[in-house]
Amino acid sequence: MSRCQSVARPLARQLQQRSVQQCLAIRSFNTTSSQLNAAASAAPVAEPTPLDLDPNTVLPEFEDALIKAGKMPVGSRRRRVALRSNPNSLPFEQLPYQAFQEARKILAADREQKVAKIKEEVEKIARVEAVEDSQFRGGPKMKATRLASLRKYVEELKIKADVNDPIVKKRFEDGLGDMNKPIYRYYAEKKWRSYDQRLITQRISQFHIVPDIIPKLVPTADVQLYFRKAKVAPGEIVDSIVSENPPRLRVQLFNPGERLVTVVVVDPDVPDVENDAFFKRCHYIAANIPLSPTDTSLPLSKIKGDDQLALPWLPAVAQKGSPYHRMAIFLLEQLPGERVDVAKVKELYASRDKFSLKSFQSKFRVRPFGFNMFRSVWDENTAAVMARHGLPGADIELRTARVHSLKGPVKLRGWEAKRQGPKYRQLWKYTKRIRGLSNARGWTKRK
Amino acid sequence: MASLFSLRGLSRQPLLSGVASSVTHTSMAPIRLLSTTTTLLSKAAKRAKAAKIGVTPRRNKGHQRSEFYARVKILKQNLFSPAPPPLRMARLRYLRHWTIHRAWLLFRRQQKEATHKERVRINAGMFNACEELRKVSGPGDRSEGYLYRVAMEKKGVWGLNAVPIEYARFQTDSPATTAWNHDWKR
Repeated sequence: MSRCQSVARPLARQLQQRSVQQCLAIRSFNTTSSQLNAAASAAPVAEPTPLDLDPNTVLPEFEDALIKAGKMPVGSRRRRVALRSNPNSLPFEQLPYQAFQEARKILAADREQKVAKIKEEVEKIARVEAVEDSQFRGGPKMKATRLASLRKYVEELKIKADVNDPIVKKRFEDGLGDMNKPIYRYYAEKKWRSYDQRLITQRISQFHIVPDIIPKLVPTADVQLYFRKAKVAPGEIVDSIVSENPPRLRVQLFNPGERLVTVVVVDPDVPDVENDAFFKRCHYIAANIPLSPTDTSLPLSKIKGDDQLALPWLPAVAQKGSPYHRMAIFLLEQLPGERVDVAKVKELYASRDKFSLKSFQSKFRVRPFGFNMFRSVWDENTAAVMARHGLPGADIELRTARVHSLKGPVKLRGWEAKRQGPKYRQLWKYTKRIRGLSNARGWTKRK
Repeated sequence: MASLFSLRGLSRQPLLSGVASSVTHTSMAPIRLLSTTTTLLSKAAKRAKAAKIGVTPRRNKGHQRSEFYARVKILKQNLFSPAPPPLRMARLRYLRHWTIHRAWLLFRRQQKEATHKERVRINAGMFNACEELRKVSGPGDRSEGYLYRVAMEKKGVWGLNAVPIEYARFQTDSPATTAWNHDWKR
């Protein structure tokens, strides 16, 4: 068998199986084949071996069970199969490549230097702390500055000690990084800043979130938006039936420690027909949600506590004819050790209309740090969603009022236009083509 | 390994000229180092025939090529050719590559820092020596700092009639056997 054939054969086999399954699917309109179908889907599931329970070597058919058990499969399926066929291969760091091993020696020596330096700095910090405030040169303020800069340097060194380690990099790429450790947070932040952060800042400026909703917003955490398991890109237009249920947020923090967080969802594009303007409506408020770099999942539907949920999710709907609604999701950090009084929030924002995030921010002393958004427009499901949630206005179609120019009509120009009067009667057969009004075939402008 | 990219221009011109020269020199007994075919032989025979008749072999008539033709051609090819393809490696191989690359960067930085440190040390030594000269008085009844002023003189180094800095010491064919005579006394 030629090399080409040997490569193509498993692929061809796959395709054949696909086609058989497709045939079954096509026949599933038939009443008899549904049983067949079920049998086909049930057949390949066998008893899982210990290798199938390991996220490094799990086969595709056991992936779902493993995910349900809370373990995510590692790497590609191809890699997993390769690992399975060769279970006791050398670990990556012991692979016998000379340049690689020499490089590892250099890096290890450097790491040792860095660790020694960290020890030294920690001792220095202890020494500085031991000195009394009044005894320190420059007073307590200088001492605080000195301590802060020393601590910052230690954090830097911690990252520098591990930044050249291929195992650490590999573990981060596998998604196995422990976010309590500074190096993994460093890698995560670098990855976020390489694309997602730029995207979100672009959305903030291009959708005018910054002057329209709050005066200043610099996102410092990665916030991703999921509706029904599917990720929604920032600014995407979401079907109203999809956004009827609250989304799930995936929040990755890059600085250590647990903190309390407030989530606010604002729609700044509610049409105000009486005033010929728009106002903001608050779609969701929840406060006192604990977050840390290690727990990233924040499903808004699971927040039900009495001291957490202030305003439940109001589906995002846009009336027919209104321009798209920006649904801005803000994550606000509360002051350390302070809790937001949810009863007060409920009382203040019972009517969701005319919401101001700026005033909310100053009332409850919270600071925005994360942002994401989606958009909603009128679609075929919006009327049903509005009816289900008792929202008025599904029977109205908004139309933008035509704004006429305040300038007077433009005087016609050109040789022909000047010679339209009775004075030029003898020229009328030549003065039919007036720019913007007529051409050789006759009058073009409607009256 | 040198990439194909860098070798692109090299193949044509020298090879052809080499063949031609070899043919003209050894027209009757052409070298057949590697080829097993008769093409070279037959070509050489043709050339020989032409030479006998007195017809010059057909060249690219019209323009005379400059002596830099080959070099300019290579330069042009490398200037306007597309970028070389990216490295394609599997994951673990890439990780090994990355490790080696990081180690190389680190090594170079360490070297650079060491050189810089050494230079700073030498510079400081010079500075201290000058400082000593400035403080000392003499020789004889010379005032304090005389030696320093003399050392800092730059006569004939600048200006229209300047002597090049290389001539600040005696020009010799080889370095001295003893670089510095420490026992020297005036």
